[in-house]
Amino acid sequence: MSLKSKIDRRNFLKTTGVGVIGFPFVVNGFTKMAASDKIRVAHIGTGNMGGSHIRWFSAFPDVETVALCDVDEVRLANARKVLVSSNSSANPELYSDFRRIIDRKDIDVVTCATPDHWHALVAISAFESGKDVYGEKPLSFSAQEGKVMLQSLKKYNRIFQLGTQIHASENYHRVAEIIQSGALGKIHTVRLWKKGGSPGLGFPPNETPPETLNWNMWLGPAPYTEYTPVRCHGSYRHFFDYSGGVFADFWCHIADIMYMSVHPQGLASIDARGDIPGDGIANTPKWIDVDFKFKDLDVYWTTTPPKVPGAEEMGIGAHFEGEKGTLTCDYNNRVISIGGETTNDISEISQTIPRSPGHQRNFLDAVKSRIQPESNLEYVREMTLPMHLALISFRLKRKLQWDCVKEEFVNDPAANFLLSREYRSPWSLPVY
Amino acid sequence: MKKVLIFFALFSVTFMGLAQNNDRFTSLFNGRDLVGWNMPGKVPGFEVVDGILVASPRNGSELFTEEQYGNFVFKFEYLLSEVGNSGVLIRCNPENPWGTGVEVQLLAPWTPYRDDLHCTGSIYGYVAVNNRPDETTGIWHEMEIKCDRKRITISVDGAVTTTADIDTVKSMQGKNLTGFIGFQSNHSKEGEYAHFRNISILDLDNDPEYVKKGFYSEDPEIRKQAMEVSVFKGSSMVKVLIQMMDEDNTMAQAGAKQALFDIVAGISAPNAIGKERVVVAKMLKEQSMDSTSEITAEYLKWLLEMLNRTITG
Repeated sequence: MSLKSKIDRRNFLKTTGVGVIGFPFVVNGFTKMAASDKIRVAHIGTGNMGGSHIRWFSAFPDVETVALCDVDEVRLANARKVLVSSNSSANPELYSDFRRIIDRKDIDVVTCATPDHWHALVAISAFESGKDVYGEKPLSFSAQEGKVMLQSLKKYNRIFQLGTQIHASENYHRVAEIIQSGALGKIHTVRLWKKGGSPGLGFPPNETPPETLNWNMWLGPAPYTEYTPVRCHGSYRHFFDYSGGVFADFWCHIADIMYMSVHPQGLASIDARGDIPGDGIANTPKWIDVDFKFKDLDVYWTTTPPKVPGAEEMGIGAHFEGEKGTLTCDYNNRVISIGGETTNDISEISQTIPRSPGHQRNFLDAVKSRIQPESNLEYVREMTLPMHLALISFRLKRKLQWDCVKEEFVNDPAANFLLSREYRSPWSLPVY
Repeated sequence: MKKVLIFFALFSVTFMGLAQNNDRFTSLFNGRDLVGWNMPGKVPGFEVVDGILVASPRNGSELFTEEQYGNFVFKFEYLLSEVGNSGVLIRCNPENPWGTGVEVQLLAPWTPYRDDLHCTGSIYGYVAVNNRPDETTGIWHEMEIKCDRKRITISVDGAVTTTADIDTVKSMQGKNLTGFIGFQSNHSKEGEYAHFRNISILDLDNDPEYVKKGFYSEDPEIRKQAMEVSVFKGSSMVKVLIQMMDEDNTMAQAGAKQALFDIVAGISAPNAIGKERVVVAKMLKEQSMDSTSEITAEYLKWLLEMLNRTITG
C-alpha cells in the first residue's frame, strides 16, 4: 500500500475539497502535452463498461494504464487480468477507494464507469485534482449534478468526454450534415424511441453483502438501504435511487443525433406518461412516453416505435420531420424521404463536419491539445437535461412547465426539489 | 342461562356490526341537484325532477361521480320507461368510459328482446346474467353492484343475477380496476327515460386494512390497484403504509414505498388541496421520529422535505 493510500478519509476531505471547498492545486493541464507524451490513465469502476474502458485505452500507444479501482475485490482482480491480457507489461496499482487515485499527482486521466450516482463526485474530485475525465453515460444522476460538474470543469480548466461512443460514428455525422444542409426544410418535429423498458426484478429478500464488496462505498451518496444482488451490479439502473432505467440509459445515445443535427433550444414544457414495472423492487419506467415542447420544435419520446415507415424495424431510432421531407435513422442506418422518393444519401451535400478519429482517440487528443472533445461536458449537459426533467414528470405524473433561462420548473416546488438530491453523509456536492 | 346470555351478546354484536355496515353507505345523490357529479359532455343527459334523477334527452352526456373508486358496493333504485335503455359504468375513465371500464346494463326487455349477455344485470357484452331479473318497466327496482378487487357481483331486487371473476373473462383483460362510476344517458328513443333514486355507496377502500391486503396479493394487477387506491385515499393510508415499510417483506416494502411517493407527488401538485399537504406532512414528521428503521425514517424525511417545499412555497 502506498503512503498516499494511508491518508485517512477525514484528512482527505480537508485537503482535496470534495464536498468542502476547492483546494489550490497546480493544474498540469494548463500547458499542452506533446503528441508523443504518454497519458497516464486510471480506471474507476471496472464492471461491464469498465472492462471496455480498460481494453480500449490500453490499446493506444500513448496510454499507460497505471491504476484500477473498484469497490468489489472480485471485479478488481478480474480487471487486472483483463488489462494484463491486453498489455502484458502493465503493472497497475489496485485500489478499492477512488480517492486514493485522486490523491495521486502522477495520473493525467481517469475514466469513470461506476453506477450513475457516483458519476458527479468522481468527475468533480478528478477535476479538482487536475485530472481529465472520460465518463460513462448518463452524465449524472441528477440535473443539479450536471450543472456543478460543468462549473467544476470550467473552474479547473479540465477536459471531459461523455462515453457516448456512437457520437463518433460516420452515420451520425452524415445525418447531421444532411439535416443542416436544409435538404429536408425546416425541422418541426422529432420522434425518438427505444423499444422496451426496465424489468421489475422480482421481490428478492435482503441479504448480507458479500465480504468482497464494500456495499457502503458502492452506495456512497445514495440513500442507505439493505443489500440484495439485483440492486447492485448489472441491474442497479432500474432503481431511481441510482439511475433512471432504460430510458436514462439510452436517451443520450439517440437524443445525441437530435442535438447534433438541430440543437433544440427553449424547452418550455415536458409531459410524461408511463408506468413502473410493478412486478418487482425496481421502480424505473417499464414504459415512458414524453412530449417535449421546444422553441419551434416538438419532440416526442416513445417506448414503442412511432408509426412512420422503417421505424418498426429499429429498436432505437430518431425520425426527423421537416417541411420538405423526413429522415429516419438509428446508430448505423438512415433513410431519407423527400417528395415520395427514398434514398440513403444525397451526394450533392458536401462533407462539412470534421469526422471523429474515434471516441476515445478524440478524447485523448483533447487531453493533449486542451481543446474540448466532441461529447464535451457543456454539450452533453444540455443534451442530458431533458431526460432528467422527463423522469421528474413521470414520477410526479403531471405535465411540467420549464423556465429554460432560470433552469427551474414554473410554479412547482416539488418538481424543483427533484432536480437535486442531498447526499448521504459524509458525501456532499461542492458549491462553487 | 349464562350460555344464553353469551349467545345473545354475540348475536347483538353481529347484528350491530351489520347495522354499522349499513350506516357506512354514503348517499351520492341529494335529490335536489347534481352536486358530487360531473356531466362532461356538451349536451346535458340528466336533470333532477321532484327528487328523482332523470335520464331523458337522447344521447346526452353521461353522468360521472366526482370521486374515483376501486372496491365498493354501489346501490340505487331505477325505473325504466316502456323501451328504456341506460346502464351503470364502473371503474371507468370518463374520457373513454366503455374502453376503460364496463357497463352494467339497464334495459327494458322489449327493445327488442335481448339475450342474457345484454339484458338488465349483465355486464354488457362481457358477462351474462345466470339468474335473469324481473325486467318489468314502469316500476322501481333496486340494483346493487359489488366490486371486490377482481370479483364483481350484481344483484337486482335482492337476488344475485351475475357474478364475474375478471381473471376468467378474457375479453375484460386490461380493464381498469379503479375509476369513476357513471350513469349512461337515455340510450333509447327520444321520449324514453330512466329514473334513479336512493343512490349510495359503501366504499370498501375507506378501510385502510382492506386496502393493505391488496399490497400482499400475488397478483400484480391487484397490487397496482392497491397503489392507485392509496393515492385517492391519501392521508388515511399513510400510517398503514409506513408500518408496511418496516415489515420484513420486500414486496410490501416496495409497494408501500411507491404508494407513499405517489401520495406525496399527488398532493404536491400546484392545484392540489393545501389542507391535505399539512395533514400528511404532520404524519410523515411524527412517523419519521417513531420509526424503528433508520432506512424508513430517512425516506420519510426525504418525502417530508419535498412536501414542505410546497407548503412553505
